[in-house]
Amino acid sequence: MTDTIKFAVKKLDFYYGDFKALDQISMDIAEKQATALIGPSGCGKSTFLRCLNRMNDLIPGIRVDGEILLDGENTHDPGIDVVQLRRRVGMVFQKPNPFPKTIFENVAYGLRVNGLKNKAMLRESVEKSLVDAALFDEVKDRLNQSALGLSGGQQQRLCIARALAVKPEVLLMDEPASALDPIATQKIEDLIHQLKKHYTIVIVTHNMQQAARVSDVTGFFYMGRLIETGDTETLFTRPKLKQTEDYITGRFG
Amino acid sequence: MERQNFHKELEQLKLTIYKMAALARQSFENACKAYLARDDDLAQTIIDGDRDINRIELEIDRQSLRLLALEQPMARDLRMIVGIMRISNDLERIADQSVNIAERTIFLCQHSPLERVPAMEALIDISKKMFTMAVTSFRDMDAEAAKEIPAMDDQADEYNMQVLKSLIEVMAASSPGFEKRVLKMRRSIQTIIISRCLERIADMSTNIAEHVVFIAEGVNLKHIQKL
Ligand SMILES: Nc1ncnc2c1ncn2[C@@H]1O[C@H](COP(=O)(O)OP(=O)(O)O)[C@@H](O)[C@H]1O
Ligand SMILES: [Mg+2]
Repeated sequence: MTDTIKFAVKKLDFYYGDFKALDQISMDIAEKQATALIGPSGCGKSTFLRCLNRMNDLIPGIRVDGEILLDGENTHDPGIDVVQLRRRVGMVFQKPNPFPKTIFENVAYGLRVNGLKNKAMLRESVEKSLVDAALFDEVKDRLNQSALGLSGGQQQRLCIARALAVKPEVLLMDEPASALDPIATQKIEDLIHQLKKHYTIVIVTHNMQQAARVSDVTGFFYMGRLIETGDTETLFTRPKLKQTEDYITGRFG
Repeated sequence: MERQNFHKELEQLKLTIYKMAALARQSFENACKAYLARDDDLAQTIIDGDRDINRIELEIDRQSLRLLALEQPMARDLRMIVGIMRISNDLERIADQSVNIAERTIFLCQHSPLERVPAMEALIDISKKMFTMAVTSFRDMDAEAAKEIPAMDDQADEYNMQVLKSLIEVMAASSPGFEKRVLKMRRSIQTIIISRCLERIADMSTNIAEHVVFIAEGVNLKHIQKL
């Protein structure tokens, strides 16, 4: 394996107050691959995901030990610009959360925040992001209508377009399809296959078949620990550890 | 996330293939017995019983496809179902070979016996042993026991060659009368076909052993030396 490592996580401990939610997590996340995180509810998948762009910083009373290196640079160094970090490491959540604005403005939002004013450039960026999120054809005639009129699946792809607009390097997705119907889910999965050509993707999913379908690498979390990680095909056909085997074959959890 | 119902159905599928294995074994053991004892009634029961085995094979296919489609099994469960489908295919072919032996036996029973070919008895012993070990290693999911089976296959091939050689000599030995010579050749050739069936059953027992290792360990023994 000569994959470039995007994130190198080393001995990460994470606390909510006194509660240790992550325990000695070490994991390399390869560039331009999709990494899936699976495990029973409450095992720390979302917490881990939010560590990668320091979204947890917003929660009072948290503590982080260990290192998370992004392209070799410690994301928890005091000198790190967290806004810049979150620009490089975008996020999509379980429930689509478009702003109550037009479709166009939803995607343009991050660009405007970054100070882009040129109308033509804005328009070009917005359209490209919508194309990349596989949404453009469905909305090109109603860019100035409210995003809230879109279906759930379209709203989720809009959120992906919004995340893509600021040209991130990594896209974190926390159960991005769990609120969607099967067809919308299929579209998101197809999209992930496209996106991983250009972006590093880390996806949390409670749907093991989905993890198996979309990811190259899978990590199995259990009670705050990373139990096993490996290439997805191997992990789902012949995992090394019995605990992993028992979970993915539905013998507990 | 616990999948009790799926695991119950998977256990049911295992019971079905155990039953198929038991029937195939019975069929094969009886074929050997009928050949050795020149018992054409027993041979006929094998031919009659083959329909049951074919029916179970279809049932295993149906159950397996259902579980694959509806339950999307993972890891060991996935390997178990794929392995069961492969094993049932080998069991069905073993049962076919047993029918083939039974049909030759019925022909042989109508004529006086040929001289004894010791390698034939050795081949019967080893193929019976290999098949029994294969079925047992599957039942116990004992990969170590299964790994002992492929090495026995060379011995089975060797016995088959010895049978062939002996019977060529029998055929070549001159005997008086054209009719008699033709009949001797026919009996010899039928016996050679039985020997070939036994050798194939040894091959398929080896296949089953490889499937057991695949289910237990997730590695494919087949062709591993050639890679
Ligand atoms: N804001 C929070 N404050 C305190 N505990 C939390 C908070 N968020 C999550 N936890 C706890 O941390 C553990 C891991 O949660 P989470 O990362 O959401 O798990 P998962 O995404 O795997 O379901 C759980 O026990 C959860 O209750
Ligand atoms: Mg979560």
